[in-house]
Amino acid sequence: MTSASLPTSQTVSQPQPIPSGLWRTLSRSGVSVKQPTGVDAFWHGLVGYFVPLWPRRSIHMRRARRIAELSKKYVNLSDARMNEEVASLRELFCREREKKSDVDRAFAVVRELAKRELGMEPYVVQLAAASAIEAGCITELATGEGKTLVATLPAAIAGWRGRGCHVVTVNDYLAQRDAQWMAPLYKRCGLSVAAVQGEMKNNERRSAYLADVTYCTNKEVTADFLRDRLVMGASKTLASELVRQVTGLSRGLTGGQLVMRGLECAIVDEADSILIDEAVTPLIISGGGTNKEQSDAFGVAAELARQLERGKHYKVDFKYREIELTNAGRETVHGLCEGKAGLWQGARRREELVRQALSALILFERDRQYVVQEGKIVIVDEYTGRVMPDRTWRDGLHQAVEVKEGVEVNAPKDTLARVSFQRFFRMYRKLAGMTGTAAEAWREFWQVYDLPVVTIPTHRPCVRSYNKDRVFVDAQTKWHAVAQEVRKVHEAQRPVLVGTRSVAQSEQLSRLLTEQGLSHQVLNAVHHEKEAQVVAEAGQPGRVTVATNMAGRGTDIKLAKSVNEAGGLHVIACERHDSGRVDRQLFGRCARQGDPGSVSVYVSLDDELVVRYAWQWLKWMLGRIKADDAGELRSPSARRLFHAAQRRASRISLRQRKSVLKHDDWLEEYLGFAGRED
Amino acid sequence: MPPERPTFSESWYRVESLRPRLRSTLQTYRQHFRGQVYHVVQDPTNNSFFRVGPSAYHFIGMLDGQRSVGQVWDRCNERLGDQAPTQNEVIQLLGQLYASNLIQAELAPDAEGMFNRYRKRVNREIGSYLMNILFARIPLLDPDRFLDRWVKWVGWFFSPIGFALWVCVVGLGLYQVVTHADRIAMAGGLLDMVNWDAEGLGLLYLSFIGIKAIHELGHGFSCKTFGNRTHSGGEVHTIGIMFLVGMPVPYVDASSAWAFRSKWHRAVVGMAGMYVELFFAAIAAYVWAITGQGSVVNAVAFNVMFIASVSTLLFNANPLLRFDGYYILSDLLEIPNLAQRSSEYFYYLVKRYAFGVKRAIDRTQTPTERVWLLIYAMLSTVYRFFISIRIILFIADKFFFIGALMAIAGIVGWVVVPMGKFVNYLATSHEIDRVRTRAIGAIVASLTAGVLGLAVIPAPDRGRAEGVVEPVRFAMIAMGANGFIEGYLPDTSYVTPDGQPLIVASNPELVAQRDQARSERDKTYYELQQAMQDEPSLQQSLRQKLEALDTKLGHLNEQLASLTIHAPFKGLWVSPQIESSKGVYLDRGQTVGMVASDGDLFIRAVADQRLGPRIAHELHEGAQVELRVRGVPTEHFKGRIEKILRAGQTELPSAALGYRVGGNIAVSKDDRDGKTAVEPFTEVHIRPDPEAIKALRSGQRVVVRFDLGQRPLGVQWYRSILQTLQSRFRI
Repeated sequence: MTSASLPTSQTVSQPQPIPSGLWRTLSRSGVSVKQPTGVDAFWHGLVGYFVPLWPRRSIHMRRARRIAELSKKYVNLSDARMNEEVASLRELFCREREKKSDVDRAFAVVRELAKRELGMEPYVVQLAAASAIEAGCITELATGEGKTLVATLPAAIAGWRGRGCHVVTVNDYLAQRDAQWMAPLYKRCGLSVAAVQGEMKNNERRSAYLADVTYCTNKEVTADFLRDRLVMGASKTLASELVRQVTGLSRGLTGGQLVMRGLECAIVDEADSILIDEAVTPLIISGGGTNKEQSDAFGVAAELARQLERGKHYKVDFKYREIELTNAGRETVHGLCEGKAGLWQGARRREELVRQALSALILFERDRQYVVQEGKIVIVDEYTGRVMPDRTWRDGLHQAVEVKEGVEVNAPKDTLARVSFQRFFRMYRKLAGMTGTAAEAWREFWQVYDLPVVTIPTHRPCVRSYNKDRVFVDAQTKWHAVAQEVRKVHEAQRPVLVGTRSVAQSEQLSRLLTEQGLSHQVLNAVHHEKEAQVVAEAGQPGRVTVATNMAGRGTDIKLAKSVNEAGGLHVIACERHDSGRVDRQLFGRCARQGDPGSVSVYVSLDDELVVRYAWQWLKWMLGRIKADDAGELRSPSARRLFHAAQRRASRISLRQRKSVLKHDDWLEEYLGFAGRED
Repeated sequence: MPPERPTFSESWYRVESLRPRLRSTLQTYRQHFRGQVYHVVQDPTNNSFFRVGPSAYHFIGMLDGQRSVGQVWDRCNERLGDQAPTQNEVIQLLGQLYASNLIQAELAPDAEGMFNRYRKRVNREIGSYLMNILFARIPLLDPDRFLDRWVKWVGWFFSPIGFALWVCVVGLGLYQVVTHADRIAMAGGLLDMVNWDAEGLGLLYLSFIGIKAIHELGHGFSCKTFGNRTHSGGEVHTIGIMFLVGMPVPYVDASSAWAFRSKWHRAVVGMAGMYVELFFAAIAAYVWAITGQGSVVNAVAFNVMFIASVSTLLFNANPLLRFDGYYILSDLLEIPNLAQRSSEYFYYLVKRYAFGVKRAIDRTQTPTERVWLLIYAMLSTVYRFFISIRIILFIADKFFFIGALMAIAGIVGWVVVPMGKFVNYLATSHEIDRVRTRAIGAIVASLTAGVLGLAVIPAPDRGRAEGVVEPVRFAMIAMGANGFIEGYLPDTSYVTPDGQPLIVASNPELVAQRDQARSERDKTYYELQQAMQDEPSLQQSLRQKLEALDTKLGHLNEQLASLTIHAPFKGLWVSPQIESSKGVYLDRGQTVGMVASDGDLFIRAVADQRLGPRIAHELHEGAQVELRVRGVPTEHFKGRIEKILRAGQTELPSAALGYRVGGNIAVSKDDRDGKTAVEPFTEVHIRPDPEAIKALRSGQRVVVRFDLGQRPLGVQWYRSILQTLQSRFRI
């Protein structure tokens, strides 16, 4: 759960009012973003089967070639003539009179301008990607193919349309970098560009959102949206605001109090992680909440929990990560609570608290689910290995973990507004995305966002070589094999990147490598200060880098010259993930832009993926098969086990995400009386 | 494990600061269900109801428009502890109240939401019309003032005096029906007495409308009566048309009776329709009994009697269908929404024990309630299934096209849609996320078991046919001479040759003839004596005359003797008409009855076209069969097939086997004797075992069970369905 606190000071400066923006904001807010149900859902699902059959890829490629041809016309045009061209295009798009050929012309012009201003001329594949984004697709573009440049083409067109365009990235750094990097191009196109940063004040934000193209993170844009909602209060729809104005109840809402000017167009970078992986965790605006009694209660609960015995008083279900109190446990808790006042008298409340405390003690491990930084509990995303400093667990779990680690307990905050990214992004009138890995999730993109997925080929053929997955009977043999492979590659003077799932694992491997005398760098949620430096050096010959999977995403690993001849970067994945996409993201670290590179995957029967999702009978049978001396299972069915488990995991998480969506819709219906939320 | 009820909800912030209150026009009533106090919140303007439990009532009771939801919730927690509603429950409660327009808050109305809800409700209603053509309803008029005006004149009918009158009238009607039961029996049952041609149907329908209108007014008036008496509720605002099996009939919305505090009052309102109907049925029975058959009055009276009694008892009173009986039962059991909750409980059991869902929520509270719910769930499912099939087959019989349409609708509504939903549930429900494999396994296993049981595991395949017991030897008893019957043995008495005579007749003329012949002979004898002494020449002729007279006398004596008829052998004397022939003059040679041998019987069984060919094909002479006497299901005997007459016959061995007298074989309507079968049949002769012969009596109807070997049930059913379709619809 991401939480951004409400700005404490509301800087009141009156910029020029933007009534049309406000009007749009209000009128858009009534748009239903409900999932289809019943026969509609069936039809929608059925159409979904035909979506990937449409030859989008060749359509966009053909168009891209046409644009490339067209752009030759502008090569010799003077800068002044180009400016005239830009002005005419801008007027055309602003009046929404553009034809398809005008879009081609616009792309061609921007391409030429990019060459002149940035020194980068978008390749044909990049043009194809831009065209797909403009057509409202999720565009899969291999890592390192220059997504930043791609985004400028459709963003420029959206900017010319005059209603703003949000280019959404995963962190402030990337937003800032991309905005600055591309600024000359936008400027040349007559467009203003800005990046929204976490520490910005309201008026800065407002002017950032007023820019033609705004780079921002998903978190910031959603939080700003929610804050605007709070400012709007009861005037959540155009109709209700008009009624309030007529009846004199309006607080005189003008655009000036709002930060944003409506949700028109968004281009989402890393679309899969923003629109899928992170999409279900709601973003919450919270405020206040210093209930002393409550924060003390967590301490008491932890004390109670420590007095309980596993097996006798409670049962642990590791598969579903749940604690269940037994009857004996209940009675014990009841006995222990005798004489305690308030919420300890009710069985339901006190058992909830004790269960939370037990979960914190048993199911949540330091360096796996969270790390402690500067006296605070910081959640680590299990999916990506990234720290999520703004997230908190809900229902008192966070506090229970705080009690466990002995850090200061922050009382749970009161929720003021809440929206899930899923819902939020569906409110954009035009949504498109790009990412390195989308193909696996095409169904979800279609079902949830109505977005088709297009896979664009790489500019140069990809020469990544995959080794067969190697399966080991247990974790120990696996780590040894990994260490061996690291040594081998290291000795061949190639750089190695080892991806681990959790912080703890990366530390464990680090220890093992140290024992074997291999020098290496660790990049994880704990050691992330030198991130940029580590990534920059990861391409040096013989360099060993151990990283949690998503560390340093968005920055390239630049290879040293000699490395290319040695065979490029070698990536070792120490586990298969719940989602094949995350695996591919890691693989995408090597063999970029036609460089050579290779990948090998090491898995064991102790991996969480198989423990949680595999067919237990097959796993059991594999356990019987005799492994070779190194503890490796060479049977093809062993690899199949992992693939099946991965498929199952993806299916389950898709189902979970859809259920969150359904629950949201249901809630919306039930809470109709409390006014719309979005 | 207690159901999961998390205290907090993430969406609480959205309702926390609202200050809603119940609308001021609402009325609340207390009701008790299984020892729990419930409150019914009623909106008198649109007769909508909302029932809330104790803790929820506590909560909404405190909403006064001044306190915020958050404050009230805190207060509830202080007071009720664990009983207090959780935040989620509060949100749900408020949402429901809002959707029913029962609360107001200081909010701008969510216009889109309201329209959405409205549209959804309309869609749901239309959907339910389509899905449930049995119960579609269209409201028409508001009868409240009409009922108000008339209730003072009619209301007494629902008082003890009214009840006494009702008992008298219904008793009288019942007496009429019982005493005229033969008329019904003669016609071969009630259904066959209804005229199924167009005119008859029109009359039937009109009678139906009339009687149902009266039924509905019964609900309306009783509701008014008790409403006035207890000064609570009793408004009846809707009268309209309901489609019952596609047929429009009137209905009255007496749902305001739900607000009555006494469950007995509610029950009486529920029963009022049937109460009134039976009253009219009794009157109609009386009219039917005293009018002659064939008149319109008689026909209408019969229709009214038929509808008001049979349909009432079969449909309205039946708690397994959703008519009056159901509501009465659910009220008396104090289990509101009995059907819904029973299926809920059933699903709970399946989820909990078959699927192993640990968190399945059991909403029942007491063991007795559980027993009731389970019983109801099973009975109603089975019953609904069979009654639907019966209705469809019955209608299809009379009107093929409509029946076929209904069958398709029925299959879609009762089989395809629920199956689709169930498959969808199995595939996507979150409830069974963790046990999906087990759930699917359980279903597949039970399906496999079912399929195996039906398609593979053989079960005895048996066919039944009716037959009559007949003696191997029997003698027709005819009059030996003309005469007046004077004495006789009653029908079906056991007779022996040396026992009492069967018939004693007299013939004075014959006696006179004999007397005359005797005196003539005596006279001739004397003349002969004389002639022997006096005139030998005459001797010859006289001797001849005497001889002739002796012969005549012998004849006459013989004839006279044959007026007393003895049984030719030991057996049963069968003479159905003998009672009416006392003193009657019968000619010589006229049959008076028969004597059937007792110790030697055989059975003529009649197998219809479904069974006959199979017997002929699969069984042979000497095969063992089982016999049961009709009406005595406990006793059964054995027998062997003696002969199978393969050629199709149409002349029944006895009228007793035909439809007309309650047998199983359809007989032609033109045949007065009721012995000509519509379709040819196969006759099978069966020789009972000796002990069976002792117990059987000739003339008895028996059911013969043919053992056709072992065959899986599925195969048997498939054939029987095919045969049904074939024979009914000539497909």
